[in-house]
Amino acid sequence: MSLAWFLQNLVNGLSIGSVYAVFALGYTLVFSVLGILNFAHGAVFTLGAYLTYVLAVGEFGLNGLLAGMTLPFKLPFALALLAGALLSGLAGVAVEHLAFRPLRKRGADALLALVSSLGVALILVNLIQYLFGAEIYSFPSDVLGTLPPAVILHVGEGLVAMRTIQVVLFGVSLLLLIGLAWFIQFTKQGKALRAVAENPDTASLLGISVDAFILGTFFISGLLGGLSGTLIGVSFGLSGPYFGVAYGLKALAVIVLGGLGSIPGAVLGGLVIGLAEAFLPPDMSSFKEAVPYALLFIVLLVRPQGLLGKNAEEKV
Amino acid sequence: MEDFLARYGFLFVTILQQALLGLSLYLPLMAGQLSLASIGFYSLGGYVAAIMGTHPALAPLRDALGFYVYPLEWLVALAASTILGAALGYPALRLRGIYLALATIAFVQVFGVVVLNMPIAGGAIGIFGIPQPFENRLAYVWFFGPLLVLTLLFLWRLERSGTGRLFFSIREDELAAGAMGVNVTARKVQAFVLGCALAGVVGAMSAPLLNTWNARQGTFDAAVACLAYVLIGGRRSKWGALLGAALLVSLPELLRPLQNSRMILNGVVLVLACIYMPQGIAGLFARRKA
Repeated sequence: MSLAWFLQNLVNGLSIGSVYAVFALGYTLVFSVLGILNFAHGAVFTLGAYLTYVLAVGEFGLNGLLAGMTLPFKLPFALALLAGALLSGLAGVAVEHLAFRPLRKRGADALLALVSSLGVALILVNLIQYLFGAEIYSFPSDVLGTLPPAVILHVGEGLVAMRTIQVVLFGVSLLLLIGLAWFIQFTKQGKALRAVAENPDTASLLGISVDAFILGTFFISGLLGGLSGTLIGVSFGLSGPYFGVAYGLKALAVIVLGGLGSIPGAVLGGLVIGLAEAFLPPDMSSFKEAVPYALLFIVLLVRPQGLLGKNAEEKV
Repeated sequence: MEDFLARYGFLFVTILQQALLGLSLYLPLMAGQLSLASIGFYSLGGYVAAIMGTHPALAPLRDALGFYVYPLEWLVALAASTILGAALGYPALRLRGIYLALATIAFVQVFGVVVLNMPIAGGAIGIFGIPQPFENRLAYVWFFGPLLVLTLLFLWRLERSGTGRLFFSIREDELAAGAMGVNVTARKVQAFVLGCALAGVVGAMSAPLLNTWNARQGTFDAAVACLAYVLIGGRRSKWGALLGAALLVSLPELLRPLQNSRMILNGVVLVLACIYMPQGIAGLFARRKA
């Protein structure tokens, strides 16, 4: 229980927790605007990681339809990350067009949107498998260029290792979170977005193009999803087309823990779950996968609206 | 004919089994509660049967009972899932809508990890070599068929009983039902526990069918598949789960000639069904009320 031990877990928890927060924000944005959970978000996360991989490494794996093909170029990692994220944003737009818009136009039940988005997730994941194959992809160790793999700090008696990738994870996530908060709080578009989230009909009467803002929301959501997919992928590798499903579920736990539809809640939830996983004693590590859900379950029982959620009083 | 049965017997049994799981989701939905917990209880029931069927300490019991060990497994699974279902239901059913769905997913996830860490459940490998009462997999119709018929009869009676009407009143408007003096919490827990109990028995019947049982039986994907049966089949009718399971279980088989792209098409069907059949397949047959 030394200081070094504490700091090491803090570093681990904050870096992974900040990525959870970014990923979870993609769910939250869509939820706060449409009031539905987009289950295809985990598939967009996977897609982003694969796209960035191909753009940064320039070649495909050994099986799948595109096996052995190479791109005529290789992007530097930062550019590939950006391009992968933008393409994932477009995938988010496609999800809205395929799964949500037709249902919304028909005034269908929110439950159906859930199943429909699961259908899209199935399409995306299997498309990835079809094109990229089911094998494991790992980013080459020199993907970050000539940066050292880790920085070792001496703290008292102990050592604290900060992996470069952890710094990248935390830095990129922090930038995104600040940028997004600024966009939503201070720009005209952000205000319009909040108006749409508050009440689409009124927003429409005020001259806000609701459909355009919903599309925009899905674009940002997909962008955040793809970006966090890449960050997790660089850190832990891409274990196959299904690797986003487990993270997608975890991010669901994050947003409910923080309070559905609450942006600070998603950030807090991400950090809480990241830290809880990091501080789990080593002899209980086989329970690590249960940590987010156990936390979620307990919080829901004590505070059903989540940590920072508002308690919506139901009225007749 | 023999060839046909050999090929599609397992498929047919799977449809019945999955339809029963769909019905275990339909039960809480009768009271308007979206729960995905069923798959956890399915897993629990399967473990009960797997342990009773293979644990060395229980060998004398198995020898003494012969075939009757299977009904005993069902009863134990029923009791275990009823108790755990009530213990989970009382706190969880204070939650509404999507919160309940997510809390039940959380339960399924935690249950999966806990089981993975229990030595008696065989860890990640699970339990294998579970004794099978039938040589032919089609013969499991004698397990699932009667259970399905009984469940449908039970639901038919339930829909016409006072309890069933109370369930429906909560589904239509929970606040109004509460204001009319319906004990909303008790009814919701009742519907939930009925679903859990059914799922537990289905699990206990499925362990011999599948011969092995492990934590992969109770995954989020499987939970979602059960939900899809009910929603695609029609969530306002007991026939919905059966229709949905028949369609969605046989679909990958029907699409087999397409090989790699069949799962993609499976997703396309899900999306199209949501858009064009909002009331599910059963909704297409429903009598239009004036």
